This record gives sequence, C-alpha cells and structure tokens, in this order.
Amino acid sequence: MTPPHFAFSATFILALTGLVFTRTHLLSALLCLEGMMSLFVALSLWALQLDITSFLASPLLLLAFSACEASTGLALLAATARTHGSDRLQSLNLLQC
Amino acid sequence: MMTYISCFFLGGFILSMVAVACNPSPFYGSFGLVAVAGFGCAVVVGSGGTFLALILVMIYVGAMLVVFVYSAALAADRYPESWGSGGVAGQAMGYLLGVMVASGFFWKEEYGVLWGFGGSVEELAPQRGDIGGVSWMYSLGGPLLVISAGALLLTLFVVFEVTRLLHRGAFR
Repeated sequence: MTPPHFAFSATFILALTGLVFTRTHLLSALLCLEGMMSLFVALSLWALQLDITSFLASPLLLLAFSACEASTGLALLAATARTHGSDRLQSLNLLQC
Repeated sequence: MMTYISCFFLGGFILSMVAVACNPSPFYGSFGLVAVAGFGCAVVVGSGGTFLALILVMIYVGAMLVVFVYSAALAADRYPESWGSGGVAGQAMGYLLGVMVASGFFWKEEYGVLWGFGGSVEELAPQRGDIGGVSWMYSLGGPLLVISAGALLLTLFVVFEVTRLLHRGAFR
C-alpha cells in the first residue's frame, strides 16, 4: 500500500472510530463525521495520480454533499439543544429502559 | 526531498485526525479539523491538484468549519474539558498505537514507485491538470449539476423542518 493510500485509509478509519467512541458531546460526533474530508483527498489523489482528469469532478460533488450532511447534523444539534437543554449524550435517554 | 515533505504532510494528516477522534471538547476538535484540512490541502497540492486544494480550504475550512465553530459556541460548556482530563491521553495513545501497528502491516516500500508528483506538464495548455478536469462537470455533467442543486434545495427544506424554523421562527 502506498503511503498516501495508507494515510487516507487510516484517517477515515480513525474518524469512524472517533465517531463510535464519542463520550460526552453530540458535536464531537459530528466533527468526527467531517473526517470524510479524507475521502475528498482520496478521490482527488486517485484522479490526479492516474491522470484521469475526467474524474476530478467527483471530489467537488463529495464536498457539496458533505456540506448537506453537515448542515443536517447541525440542525439536529440545534433541535437537541432546544428540547434537551444541551447536546450532552447523557441527556438523550428517552429510550433507556 | 519531495518524498520527505509529502511524508511529513501525510503524517500530520493522520496525527491531526487522531486529535479530532479523541477530542475532549468540541473546541479542540474543531481546531484539529482545521489542521486536518491544512495537511490534506498540502497533500493534494503535492500531487498537482492546486485548484482542488483551494476549493477544499475555502469551502471546508472557510464555510463549514466556521459554522461548526459557531455551533460549538452555541452548545458550549462553561468549563470545557482539557487534554489532561478523563482518559483522553490514554485514548490518544491507543489510537496512535493502532496507527503504528497498521502501518507496520500495510506500509511497504518495496512496491516500486511510491507515488507520482504530477502537475508538471511541458507545454502550457489552457486546460491543464485539475482545472481541465473540473470543467468537465460543467460541460458534460450539466444534468448532474441540476440534480445536485435539487438535492441541496431539498436539504435546505430538511433543515427548515428539523429546526421548525418555518413554523414558529428562530426563538422559542
């Protein structure tokens, strides 16, 4: 595995692990979801190093949809702060038995 | 020389994401994400994609992370945790250990050419490198742009509905 390939794969898996093991804040989980920036680097390196210039539109589309997802996540955060008072994960216990 | 610089930026990329993954507070996580974007931008520039790196910095750091920082100010603790509290240092050490073990398995240098530092073309064409590639999105990918714009408009209405902005306004 070439070093850039390893770098963005490790970054992506680290971001997913950080999302899974979030302790206190919902906003920390959303920040770890923004680790899909490593997918932007992956797609652009793929198109640049293999000289396939027609695939260089895919990082831009990824960026646009990542902005969509970030805005939806932040809207959920605002709704959570409105109803539960804060975005701490201990207060999201409606389904707790 | 270029290999060493690119390895430095790749290492910074991974280490900043370690800092984001085990952040004690969203303030430190946002700062780590800015560092990830900076190092990722440098990696993409090193491979010849200057336009894409500019787009990454402008849109990710300049727009999205600014919104994240404002949200962190909205949902903020009065006394945020720092790097020494809880098990944050142990978690960071665990992540670093995982990255080093994985790099021991996967980072092999006997596979020939490591990577190519593209972007240096002999002739100066009007469409060189990544700018020529992005322009395909506007010429042949016109319907795709229209559909993406429709998806973004849908996301706007989703955000309106989740925050109940159109029903009762911005204040409770």
